Amino acid sequence: MLEALQVFLFDYTFRTVALGAAALGAVAGALGCFAVLRRQSLLGDAIAHAALPGIGLAFLLTGSRATPVLVLGAALAGWIGTLAVMGIVRGARLPEDTALGIVLSVFFGFGLVILTFVQRLPLASQAGLETFLWGQAATLMAADVQMIIIVGAGALALLALFWKEFKVLSFDGAFAASLGMPVRRVEFLLTSLLVVAIVLGLQTVGVVLMSALVVAPAAAARQWVDSLGLMVLLAAALGALAGVVGVGFSSAGSGIPTGPVIVLVASAIVGISLLAAPGRGLLAELVRQRRVGRRIRADAVLADLYALAMQHEDRRYGHPVATLRTMRHGEVGIERSLETLAEQGWARELKPGSWGLTPEGEKRARTRFLDQDAEHP
Amino acid sequence: MAGPEAAASVPGGGPAIEVNDLTVAYREQPVLWDIDLEVRPGALTAIVGPNGAGKTTLIQSILGLVRPAAGRIRILDRPIRDARGEVAYVPQRGTVDWDFPTSVLDVVLMGTYREVGWFRRPGRAERIRAVAALEKVGMEAYQDRQIRQLSGGQQQRVFLARALVQEARIYLMDEPFQGVDARTETAIVEVLRELRDRGDTVVAVHHALQTVPEYFDDVVILNVRRIASGPVSEVFTEENLRVAYGGRVPFLHAVSDAPVADLPES
Repeated sequence: MLEALQVFLFDYTFRTVALGAAALGAVAGALGCFAVLRRQSLLGDAIAHAALPGIGLAFLLTGSRATPVLVLGAALAGWIGTLAVMGIVRGARLPEDTALGIVLSVFFGFGLVILTFVQRLPLASQAGLETFLWGQAATLMAADVQMIIIVGAGALALLALFWKEFKVLSFDGAFAASLGMPVRRVEFLLTSLLVVAIVLGLQTVGVVLMSALVVAPAAAARQWVDSLGLMVLLAAALGALAGVVGVGFSSAGSGIPTGPVIVLVASAIVGISLLAAPGRGLLAELVRQRRVGRRIRADAVLADLYALAMQHEDRRYGHPVATLRTMRHGEVGIERSLETLAEQGWARELKPGSWGLTPEGEKRARTRFLDQDAEHP
Repeated sequence: MAGPEAAASVPGGGPAIEVNDLTVAYREQPVLWDIDLEVRPGALTAIVGPNGAGKTTLIQSILGLVRPAAGRIRILDRPIRDARGEVAYVPQRGTVDWDFPTSVLDVVLMGTYREVGWFRRPGRAERIRAVAALEKVGMEAYQDRQIRQLSGGQQQRVFLARALVQEARIYLMDEPFQGVDARTETAIVEVLRELRDRGDTVVAVHHALQTVPEYFDDVVILNVRRIASGPVSEVFTEENLRVAYGGRVPFLHAVSDAPVADLPES
């Protein structure tokens, strides 16, 4: 444990790699918010897969496996993939998901062919190109991390600069256009930034799983907060967390590709968020439903007690629980409902096993079920 | 009061909106066919017509949001790109995601984005104007609310406030009364009348035929072609509606009989 901490804090290589993964997660998380809010999560997946042939071709054409060269190739191919999606939707009149599916599989298949071809070349330098499939953070050099940070910071600066344009475009594109905003160009810029975020992560996370790092932090962040600014900040933080923890696990676990580990961590964050977030989470919803259910059941018993009270001259007459249960057709949990009513001060146990309404309970029943004014019965 | 002067301030006293020979087609199918239209400044104009008549497309063409196959549109005697600051748009509220993570005030502030300009954010002055616009539609108490918590009528009033904050002279609204509660309907009508009395021009796509005579001064009856347009008293006739709706006019009897507002919605 202590050793792991020491590695974490003092090992230069690990620190470099973790820093790169954190920067990457932050950029992908922040820009992923817009992809998620604009319902373009699948576009991220298509861009990532479409980048693969670009990596292979960039290597073939230049003979270099320097990261900037490969990233440039990836970015170009990713962009061409995006344009292909738009072109298919407009020109061939196919639905967008079909276009995304076509582009994703065709580009990815083409990329695999090139990669296989490259691996058979009698060159020493092609080694490691296949790490772009699943990602290998260990291959990150200090220069790569530097590039991720500089390019990523540039992308985030542009995001800040065009914040209100991106926001209104994502919320209401037609209104943005009516303001005279060049919507096409703003859209182009936003999608370009998404392409940048994705290709930055290909070496670390890999083309197959990169879209998860774009979508997962945003989806998780949306569960917790209700403003776009906070959502982007939180998604950036969660993305960075997923990156660092993923790299940590991957390097500790000797040779597990980084991409799958990062995705597992990001998925865990999403899972926790879906479950536990206040307001939108499943647990909060469950609690809400139970509370509503309990109130409805208690209301039913209150109505029964009121009906019984109306039949008896003596308002202080107690009614056995068994009677109430029969009126609810033998339903279980009558005692629980009576307790709830007692907590509200609307009913009380007059003698063991016998219940009656309090004056407040009678008033409550009248206003609730008979729609009468409680003040003037 | 200010109405006549403001109306007269349109250059040459011409129409607020002028549409000539407008044809719009989606995939070779004409949506609007050879439309000629003049919208009177300082008046409330309804656009009515059956589903698929091209009402939304007409509004969006005037705003320059769809590219027409042919035709010319002038706003205050200018092309739309030179008149952006004079025009405010209220889209159908169903066209946006009301689960978007933002607040009521934030949405209204979007109406100031054009004048705020590139690279800048709305500041205190814009905030004050946005709150004032919310007050006009009776929503100032909701300024910090999440938009997903709003009812349909409240959403519509927020959209109206976003248009008001633009301080435009021409308001183009797509079904501002669609699915709203009675209170919202009254509030919107009041705001529209206030705008008209100031000399502004309002054009609204409208569905409930029975309220046209009560709410609007002018009407455009549309079904791909322009069937009729002009003052409600002159052109909102059974005959014109029959042409537009193909013989089966919803609540046609309402047009002639007096207490029209009490009829159920279509």
